[in-house]
Amino acid sequence: MTIEIRAQQIRKRQNRRNAMKMAGRYCLAIGITLVFIFPVYWLFSISFKTPDEIFHHPPVWFPESIQFDNYGVLFKDGDAITVWNSLVIATVSTVFAMFLGTIAAYSLARFKTGGQHLGIWIISQRMLPPIVIVFPIFLLYVWLGWVDTYHGLIILYTAFNLPYVIWMMRGYMEDIPIELEESALVDGCSRWEVLWKVVLPLARSGIFATAVFTFVFAWNDFIFALILSRTEVTTFPVQVTHYFGGQSNFWAKIAAMSVLGTIPIFIAVAIMQRFLVRGISMGAVKG
Amino acid sequence: MDTLGAHRSPAKAFSAGRFADKNFKYLTIAPAVFLILLIGLFPLVYTLMVSFQNINMMEVDTSFSGLMNYEMLFEESRLWLSLGHTLIFTAIALPIELGLGLLMALLFLERLPGKQIFVALLVLPTMMSPIVAGAVWRLLFDNRYGPINQILGWIAGEPVTILWTINPDFVYPAILIAEVWQWTPFMFLILLAGLSNVDSAQTEAAEIDGAPYWLIFYKIIIPAIWPVMAIALLIRGLDLFRLFDVVYALTQGGPGTMTETISVYAYVQGFKQFETSFTGAIAFLVIIMLTVIVIYALKKMELVEK
Amino acid sequence: MARITITGLHKYYGNHHAVRGIDLDIPEGEFAVLVGPSGCGKSTLLRSIAGLESVNDGAIEIDGELVNDMRPRDRNLAMVFQNYALYPHMNVYENIAFGLRARKTPAGEIDKKVTDAAALLNLDLLLDRLPRQLSGGQRQRVAIGRAIVRDARLFLFDEPLSNLDAQLRDEMRGEIKRLHQEIRKTFLYVTHDQIEAMTMADRIVLMRDGIIEQQGPPLELFEKPTNKFVAGFLGSPSMNFIPSALVTEDGKVSVKFEDGTTLLLPEDRQSKYASQAERQIIFGIRPEHISRADGSDERVGVEKYQSVIDLVLPTGSRTYGTFHIGRTPVVAELQAHDVKGAGTALALLVDMNRAILIDPDTEIVI
Repeated sequence: MTIEIRAQQIRKRQNRRNAMKMAGRYCLAIGITLVFIFPVYWLFSISFKTPDEIFHHPPVWFPESIQFDNYGVLFKDGDAITVWNSLVIATVSTVFAMFLGTIAAYSLARFKTGGQHLGIWIISQRMLPPIVIVFPIFLLYVWLGWVDTYHGLIILYTAFNLPYVIWMMRGYMEDIPIELEESALVDGCSRWEVLWKVVLPLARSGIFATAVFTFVFAWNDFIFALILSRTEVTTFPVQVTHYFGGQSNFWAKIAAMSVLGTIPIFIAVAIMQRFLVRGISMGAVKG
Repeated sequence: MDTLGAHRSPAKAFSAGRFADKNFKYLTIAPAVFLILLIGLFPLVYTLMVSFQNINMMEVDTSFSGLMNYEMLFEESRLWLSLGHTLIFTAIALPIELGLGLLMALLFLERLPGKQIFVALLVLPTMMSPIVAGAVWRLLFDNRYGPINQILGWIAGEPVTILWTINPDFVYPAILIAEVWQWTPFMFLILLAGLSNVDSAQTEAAEIDGAPYWLIFYKIIIPAIWPVMAIALLIRGLDLFRLFDVVYALTQGGPGTMTETISVYAYVQGFKQFETSFTGAIAFLVIIMLTVIVIYALKKMELVEK
Repeated sequence: MARITITGLHKYYGNHHAVRGIDLDIPEGEFAVLVGPSGCGKSTLLRSIAGLESVNDGAIEIDGELVNDMRPRDRNLAMVFQNYALYPHMNVYENIAFGLRARKTPAGEIDKKVTDAAALLNLDLLLDRLPRQLSGGQRQRVAIGRAIVRDARLFLFDEPLSNLDAQLRDEMRGEIKRLHQEIRKTFLYVTHDQIEAMTMADRIVLMRDGIIEQQGPPLELFEKPTNKFVAGFLGSPSMNFIPSALVTEDGKVSVKFEDGTTLLLPEDRQSKYASQAERQIIFGIRPEHISRADGSDERVGVEKYQSVIDLVLPTGSRTYGTFHIGRTPVVAELQAHDVKGAGTALALLVDMNRAILIDPDTEIVI
């Protein structure tokens, strides 16, 4: 009897200790998340503030009301077109990179084309600093007359994202059992049909995840766009920097433009949960 | 039957389908390789070529000018300083991101209701455009209207008016804070995945053997996640080596050239001062340095994997 | 309908010589089983015929047509894979129809063929299911269904039953054999399971290390193996191999074991081995040819051996008793109640008519 009571006491104490530990971890987790998310909150809050609220000392932590004037200005001045430019360029280059990269990845995954070296060479191209790539590309584009054009940026983003697409898609395709492809070959498919009817449908979640990441990379890029665009095809990150150093009333524009450029990222993160780790670690971690 | 067979004999007649199947692996990879050569081989060859000429804002002299630009590299202290700045940023940011990321990963490793939501929120900075991240911190760091000085003022008990992006004592912390804020979640996410994949039988066996937690951590957990950690460090190390966006947004390399990284320096030389040939030499130098670093890192990592 | 003729086939994987000069001729409509231990090259041979592997040397002909360089799709054959290789993104109907669609069969014809095949394989009610919603046996039947709708001239099976549990495997063996009897096409079936080979094959092709050790009807291989490997591979439990000597006593040839016991060879085999006397041999005898002596009618050529059983393995209908001759363990197939426990002394009968004598150096049956 006494043993039972003692055991109950111990259990109770342990439960209490576990609950406290959990509560402690919870507080810590919430605290850390707040610290990391605060800058994002601040960005959003500024975009909804009136000029008086933005330039108020001490800072206004919560805007009085949510008003969209700052966004309205962007659309009225035509600056919002830069978001559209980004959307077009990122989307089209993603489609190209996905198509070319996926079939190339299949070649690497299934036929080990070029042995180990070709694969390593391809991913190593991703490691070069953009400034090193963009400098000669700029000279080439000046010669071709491609500076400040859609196709100029689209081709560059396609090429720059290809190594990533190939590397990721190779990983996803290697996860597909080879017997399925062999079976399709025997069933009467050509190689192309095998890729189209068997491999791609089975890799579709990988294709989708890779496409979202590729889009995000093109969408987020600054340095290529800074150097290769002027006035015609300015993308939103470049537009954000155009507001720097100007009059302080550009703050609202910086914030509103940045929010417009961040919303697609929110969507990407929301739909990509399962593939986030694999995507950002270039396939090294199959989280 | 036989005649039919002979008629269909594959070796005899040409067929587009059979040709495509036979050369499938080359046909599928060729377009991609061609495009990658555009950003891989072409810049290498072209910068090398340009770097042996003498093209700048004043003149376009495409005759062979020898190693002139490379000799200039060694005399140009601003280049080596910018390289030094880059290394300082890397050397400080990388361990902080790794340490913070690891601590956060350990916090989130155990069961925690709503973990998915925390992870989704925490990953936002990493997925944002670096230039937007820089812009955000520009707003946060404002000496009068930004919340950072305000919060510091609460802590200090007196008004704080630090000029984060101008005061030489604070520009490095400013850039590093922005950088660490954006990329710690990257480390966190990868290390969390790595830690989740550690075989719990190993740690449990060590626990039963009576090993203290710190010993288990150093002798079992760290070696187990080392390959993942090494990849994360490599990716981040290369990212930091080409640090551009945040610096461009916050200080543009200033005050003076105090925070100029190698990428910012090359940008200024190539696109502000139009020292085309000299920039070619810088670019080529960077390519060479990076190739050496990557090969060394890969070798090192392979050794670890053995 | 197809006759397969293979001549001088060689296949290398890097330095590994997987198939080392195979000659094989399988007539139309035959059920041939390629069997052998893992790594013997049987799967490589099958995959070469399917066109999934290229060969380094030799010729593969189907109906007299050289197919070496032909794509798999042009060879008009069907294959069932070990892990079924069902397309996980298609339902049963689409899986079965896939090969027909790939060959641009008219829709009406596809529907009829799929429905017929489904009826034949009891898949009628499962046509809308996805592969992951099926049991192992059902998946297996879908894989077979996908092969038979194709009206292919040749059917290849790559260890199709090895992922099933024992009971299902027995069932499917019968179904595949019945299928062959119904459609009468050439079947080429790879397995490592000698029971599968024995029960299903018209012809067994027994392979080891990239070459064919022996081929022929199952009973011929079982009863007249040409070498020790074939003798030991077929049959379960496998044949006993007892080191011994051929001796001549009173003008009669006998087998002498290490323990000194001699067993007389039967009259009709005497002359054959007369010249071979006084040499070392391996004496091969199957467990079922060693039985308990019951004192009644002793048949011609059956010799007595006095044993001490040291291990008893009952299986229900039979009991296997192990005894030792020298250091060699020997298994005898006994009736269920012949022996009570280890240590029992037991008089056994050895059927010398069924024994084989093997050259210990070449391992070839004398």
